[in-house]
Amino acid sequence: MLRKKSLFVSLLSLSLVAGTAYAEDTLKVGVQAPITGSYANEGQGIDNATRLMAEQINAKGGVLGKQIEVITCDDEGTAMKAAICAKDLVNKGVKMVIGSYTSTCAEAAQATYYRAGVLQTSDGTSDTLTEHGYWTFFRNSFPNSAEATFAADYFINNKKYQRIAVLSDFSSYADGLGTAVVDAVKAAGGEVVASEKVKAGAQNFTPILTQLKSKNPDVIFYAGYYSDGGLIRAQQKALGINADFVGGDANDNPDFVKLAGPAAEGAYLINVPTPEILPYDLAKDFLNAYQAKYNMMPPSIWTLLNVDGMRAFVHAMEENQSFDTKKAADYLHTLKDYPGITGPISFAPDGNRVGSGYMAYEIQKDGSYKIVYNQ
Amino acid sequence: MRLPPALKVLLIRDIMDIFLQQLVNGLTIGSMFALIALGYTMVYGVMKLINFAHGDLVAASAFVGLFIFAELFGSGTSIFIAIAVFLLSAVVIAAVGVLLERIAYRPLRTAPRLSAVVSALGASMVIQNGIMLIWGPQMKIFPDLIPQVYWDIGGVVISLIQVLIMVLSLALMIALYIFIEKTKIGTAIRASSIDQDAARLMGINVNNIIVTIFVIGTSLGAVGGLFIGLYYKGITFNMGWQYGLYAFVAAIIGGIGNIPGAMLGGVLLGLFNAFIAGYVSSTWSDAFTFILLIVILIVRPTGILGERVAEKV
Repeated sequence: MLRKKSLFVSLLSLSLVAGTAYAEDTLKVGVQAPITGSYANEGQGIDNATRLMAEQINAKGGVLGKQIEVITCDDEGTAMKAAICAKDLVNKGVKMVIGSYTSTCAEAAQATYYRAGVLQTSDGTSDTLTEHGYWTFFRNSFPNSAEATFAADYFINNKKYQRIAVLSDFSSYADGLGTAVVDAVKAAGGEVVASEKVKAGAQNFTPILTQLKSKNPDVIFYAGYYSDGGLIRAQQKALGINADFVGGDANDNPDFVKLAGPAAEGAYLINVPTPEILPYDLAKDFLNAYQAKYNMMPPSIWTLLNVDGMRAFVHAMEENQSFDTKKAADYLHTLKDYPGITGPISFAPDGNRVGSGYMAYEIQKDGSYKIVYNQ
Repeated sequence: MRLPPALKVLLIRDIMDIFLQQLVNGLTIGSMFALIALGYTMVYGVMKLINFAHGDLVAASAFVGLFIFAELFGSGTSIFIAIAVFLLSAVVIAAVGVLLERIAYRPLRTAPRLSAVVSALGASMVIQNGIMLIWGPQMKIFPDLIPQVYWDIGGVVISLIQVLIMVLSLALMIALYIFIEKTKIGTAIRASSIDQDAARLMGINVNNIIVTIFVIGTSLGAVGGLFIGLYYKGITFNMGWQYGLYAFVAAIIGGIGNIPGAMLGGVLLGLFNAFIAGYVSSTWSDAFTFILLIVILIVRPTGILGERVAEKV
């Protein structure tokens, strides 16, 4: 018994020694994003932007004297791959992870990062992301419930829609947003005539749209992603359904307009401001640098929100003069108005980003956006 | 419900409209399934092999079509450009299909059946990742080769593309049926599917027959892939798997190895999907599709048109 104990103690001390002796000379930052698959466009944006930000920080001498090393894992937009990525990144010794793009993938990886004490920031808007009580998780966007409240207000008070149909898919994000919008519309006294789900990537949405047609809605709200939203809009017009189309935030992507074709004109989107219209100097500088390095604009606001999450993490470590993630999290949970690319960054104790800044846009004939409603 | 007669008539008309619209939706998607299913069933008929790479060839066809259009024509739409894109893509994909047979299947012709299936799965991954490496992982937007024209026939909306898909699929299937039933090569294909050794003894070059069915099957699949691009516009490197799976189910429903069975299975599956999604729940349509598959396998394992063949010992 005694021998066992002493063996245990010696093993423990050995591992402690190993732990301290193995000091790393770089700060490892993980990117978990869909580099391939349906959301590749967004995933590559997050990866590009994180690498650019790391380059900029490294050029200024790094974080507390250490250079940032970016390690990317492709989660393909699937929960299964996300869980594998989480283990992989933790094993490679990252201190923080940027991503993923979808709530589903962020959620599938959350627990692993939490157990390893790795900070994670995601643009996932599903409310459940901050409901697990993980101190490691920070949302760099605004939750579905904020968007749902805005949508309900827009539908009922501004557009005066009588009959509202809500479509979503099975992802954490879309399901959460769809449910939140249904609840918010009901709470605001509106009528939801249909609430249905589609399978992401199914391509053929005509059966469900034909069914919606019989309910005669004034508006179809689509809570899923652009790769399906663009097709739903095109097929809606093709079927001669004259309802308005309003897409949730994840429809905000150039591919939405390409997929919908001529039907894109007149569709509405709800989202926080697009990168181009961000009024902050930080945003303008970063967009110029991004354009110079990659010869294109970031695919959407999500790219920038994720970079802001990373900037907040780095800021916390610099303020604490320590790479300790728990200390950084404690600092971040009370962070107030740290200047960000997407506006002042403040976090609530549950890891939610504080604030809201939703707007409604109408897509114009040339594919550009016009702001039509602003809270 | 007491309603004024006029309103009642209107309601019945509405219900009819919805039904007919779902019928059009179902026939369109069903025609595509049928075209793709033919490739599975023809290969199975002769080689007793499920060509899992078939779905990925279908996806490749959409990308090849996109590439040919962008490289050769750039922009503009005319009936000639559309025909040229269809023919060239079909030729390219048929060539890939023949190459696939030569590399992945012919060396395994006498190997245990499982080896060939594993080889098919490997080929599927090679093609899928090949598409990704060449064209990238992003969703690509297929050009409007066919103008977007819609007709509203008494509340039922039908597009030019839908009409084209249904008419062209039907024409191709009728042509294939006549070819298989009435020509000498067709007879040779049928003979090879019954017994390869006996066919060889009758002077049929079975290798050539297998090449022929790969050419026909993959070109029909190629047309299906182009239809997917035209109809849905968004094409991704991994979409072949989904269509392949549906077409495979369609082939089994109709009776795998049976050519009219694949056509019937495809159309039935398309209609089944549309009506389940439209009247029951779109959430459950896939589940119902596979429940249908299980029921067919239990009740009639040889499929609707498949015949029970005594096992050769």
